Amino acid sequence: MSGMKRRAFVRNGTLALLALGMPPAFLRTPLLGESTFRTARKKTLICIFQRGAVDGLSMVVPFGEKAYYGSRRSIAVPQPGRTGGAIDLDGFFGLHPSLAPLRDLYGRKELAVIHAVGSPDATRSHFDAQDYMESGTPGAKATRDGWLNRALSHTDCDCGRTLADKNAHAADHAVGQLTVGGVAALRGIAMGTELPRSLRGEHPALAISDLQKFGISGGRDSGLQDTFQRLYHTDGNDAVEGAAGDAFEAIRILKAANPLQYNPASGVSYPASDFGRSLRQIAQLIKSGVGVEVAFADLGGWDTHQAQGGAQGQLARRLDDLARGVRALYDDLGDRMEDVVLITMSEFGRTVRENGSGGTDHGHANCMMVMGGGVHGGRILGDWPGLEREQLYEGRDLALTTDFRDVFAEVTSRHLGTTQLDKVFPGYAVDPRRFRGFLG
Amino acid sequence: MGRSLEQKYPLIGMSMTETMVRYLPPPRPKQMAGDTAMMAAEKRVKDPKSSPQSMLIDLASARLERAAGTERQLEEVMTDFWFNHFNVFFQKGADRYLVADYERTAIRPNVFNHFEDLLKATARHPAMLFYLDNWQSVHVDSSLLAVAASRRRQQPQQPPRRAGRGLNENYARELLELHTLGVDGGYTQKDVVEVARAMTGWTFTQAAAKQGGQARGRDGDEVAFLFRDQMHDRNEKVVLGHRLRAGRGIQDGEDVLHILATHPQTARFISTKLVEYFVSDRPSPELVDRLAAVFMRTNGDLREVTRALFSDPSFYANENQRSKFKTPFQLLASTLRATDAQIPNSRRMLQTLRTMGHMPYLASAPTGYPAMSDDWVNSGAMLARMNFGLEYASGSLTGGQPLRSIARTAATAREPGEVIRSATAVLLPGVNTTQLQRAILEDANATAGDAKQAPRAQYARLIGLVLGSPEFQRH
Repeated sequence: MSGMKRRAFVRNGTLALLALGMPPAFLRTPLLGESTFRTARKKTLICIFQRGAVDGLSMVVPFGEKAYYGSRRSIAVPQPGRTGGAIDLDGFFGLHPSLAPLRDLYGRKELAVIHAVGSPDATRSHFDAQDYMESGTPGAKATRDGWLNRALSHTDCDCGRTLADKNAHAADHAVGQLTVGGVAALRGIAMGTELPRSLRGEHPALAISDLQKFGISGGRDSGLQDTFQRLYHTDGNDAVEGAAGDAFEAIRILKAANPLQYNPASGVSYPASDFGRSLRQIAQLIKSGVGVEVAFADLGGWDTHQAQGGAQGQLARRLDDLARGVRALYDDLGDRMEDVVLITMSEFGRTVRENGSGGTDHGHANCMMVMGGGVHGGRILGDWPGLEREQLYEGRDLALTTDFRDVFAEVTSRHLGTTQLDKVFPGYAVDPRRFRGFLG
Repeated sequence: MGRSLEQKYPLIGMSMTETMVRYLPPPRPKQMAGDTAMMAAEKRVKDPKSSPQSMLIDLASARLERAAGTERQLEEVMTDFWFNHFNVFFQKGADRYLVADYERTAIRPNVFNHFEDLLKATARHPAMLFYLDNWQSVHVDSSLLAVAASRRRQQPQQPPRRAGRGLNENYARELLELHTLGVDGGYTQKDVVEVARAMTGWTFTQAAAKQGGQARGRDGDEVAFLFRDQMHDRNEKVVLGHRLRAGRGIQDGEDVLHILATHPQTARFISTKLVEYFVSDRPSPELVDRLAAVFMRTNGDLREVTRALFSDPSFYANENQRSKFKTPFQLLASTLRATDAQIPNSRRMLQTLRTMGHMPYLASAPTGYPAMSDDWVNSGAMLARMNFGLEYASGSLTGGQPLRSIARTAATAREPGEVIRSATAVLLPGVNTTQLQRAILEDANATAGDAKQAPRAQYARLIGLVLGSPEFQRH
């Protein structure tokens, strides 16, 4: 009997029991209405990593700061009202003009900005800083897994238990048996060929570069998948078989969700970039209800040491891709954004002062954006440390007033429903009083 | 054999200085005041002319092709093990110019030497000094800081020197936790700080700013280890109960490395890792004990320790046969080796390794790549392995080169069963493949009537199924 058949038996058996009025234990509670399911509708967190360190001071511009203009003779984004000026948010901060597609999300109070946020670690190395942000443990290099993977491990899944709680339970998940209509690996998805550091770890997660090609190469009808399923169905019931079974199940579910026939909501058009394609596929996965709880996409090109530009130029083009992609996803998901939070992150900020080549160098604190139907937005959150020389970190960079872990912890606990924050952020005493409150 | 690997990939034979002269892109017109040359190097890497990607592909190709083709397989396997144990990361700024030299001069010649020699070679190498930040670790009261501070007072515009920030514990911590004693090795946070203080001043020359032989760094031409006395903390330290008296210099670090290299806990930790890598995810304590005893008796002679491992009866015990799941790198190297295909280059193969998350030189954390099966068994990876088998057999990764070992025995086969028999015999020697053969034969019979399938594609399909099978994932 193939692995597929065995699982089909589990499913069909379940249906048979339901027909007899005897739901199996793992389904019973929700049918009686006393949900131990965390939520009836799946919550999803979309993470966008702006790899290379975006210049947060030109993404969300402190146009009320004289020092901003004093430090940036050629690359400052002009004040609102001037040509190419920032989009005024609150009289002091404004969006870069390329972020115009996000303007009404702020107006609808579904977009919050956290400024002067980042890693307490002083490093200005891309490698170290990305590593710290993705491991969720600034300063600790030996952390093996990523914070998003730990978040999945310590968040109840469909069956009302966390994966990390019980090893036996983890084994069940590995063969995809206990999740209802989903497999564990589909809870965490990264767009691309490799899993990012954030999603690596004990909990299964999948990197998908192209949904249409996800599966055994050689095409759907080649029969190869059936043969491989036979090869991987041994009586050992070991981890290898389990992982392979999970993969076949993921293929089956994605096929059943029929992603080949995906059309975005009418009037929505994603940018024709890699990033646009990534977001389009994320929307596709969320709409098809395959159980995605964390989706991750990278967007690079932010390391603007030279010719950064102001209202136009290099940075403006990257922000344009970001804003049009995010807005397309937002409109495409429509009402589903009630259950989605999208968050942007980048390893560190850039120097306040423009350098000798019309760019900015590696700095310290930065800016993050959070958006979604449940976000208490329309606000700039965090304490603004100021840009005068004596207010700067080491005399050159935006100082830090929010630890990025407080943002991650807020979204992990209040959106995904993770309760064991000490496991997700080891070595850090998470205190909800430090949360910035973008989720209530 | 065609050209030697050094001819094919000259980068692997270059010194650090040669590498920089060849690959370092021109500097930005104006650097931030206070940037050291090495930091400047990190900031320049986005210049496409520096082409770090091509450097990486050359290095990784050489590693893969050597693993597949070498006659000194044990040396190669041990190089993989020890590089991973003393991992450095290609993408961390200047390390891309240093890593080839690191492997060639610090790791490879020492894999059958004494552990202390290997440890000291890594400790002094600029690749490690840069990767774990020891190069900029400086005694907090040292004269360098005082000089920097007075310079700042005179020129307040100048930002503080990065390198003058103070003590950096990164190397000291990983030295104890990952290189020698192990995470539960019985040291304290105080020991970490004391070791970090002992290692201050272990840095390297600032020749990195040199451009095509033009500008000289302040220390001359060569990138090399340097003990900078002014950065060193000369006060007394106590490391794991050993007193290092005040007023000394480089000897503090030498003593620390000696203490660690000969520590019984290091013997245990290294022995455990060796057994995990070569024998089983669940190492038997008895085998670890036997190896640790050899380690201690021979002062950490790695030739003797390795010999003891491979001559131990339990290495050949039934429960330890085929008990390890191949890492992706091992999967690709063993595929190349078992099929004997002469591939023109490794680019497509490396793309597969990247997808599987096991590209040589890209382990970012100092832990290196994991050796445990659990870390490599997940659903995306399993799918990637099956697809790798199919794609490899189809010739799309190998430039269409024939799989010579299989072609030799399968040439006379008249029906699929014979091909399957000879392919499993070549690819899985000594393994019971009765069930596997039967399942693949059924696949062959089911597709035999398919006129769309060319004979060549059918043949490739059979081989691909063997390469993608669970049996081929183990060793």
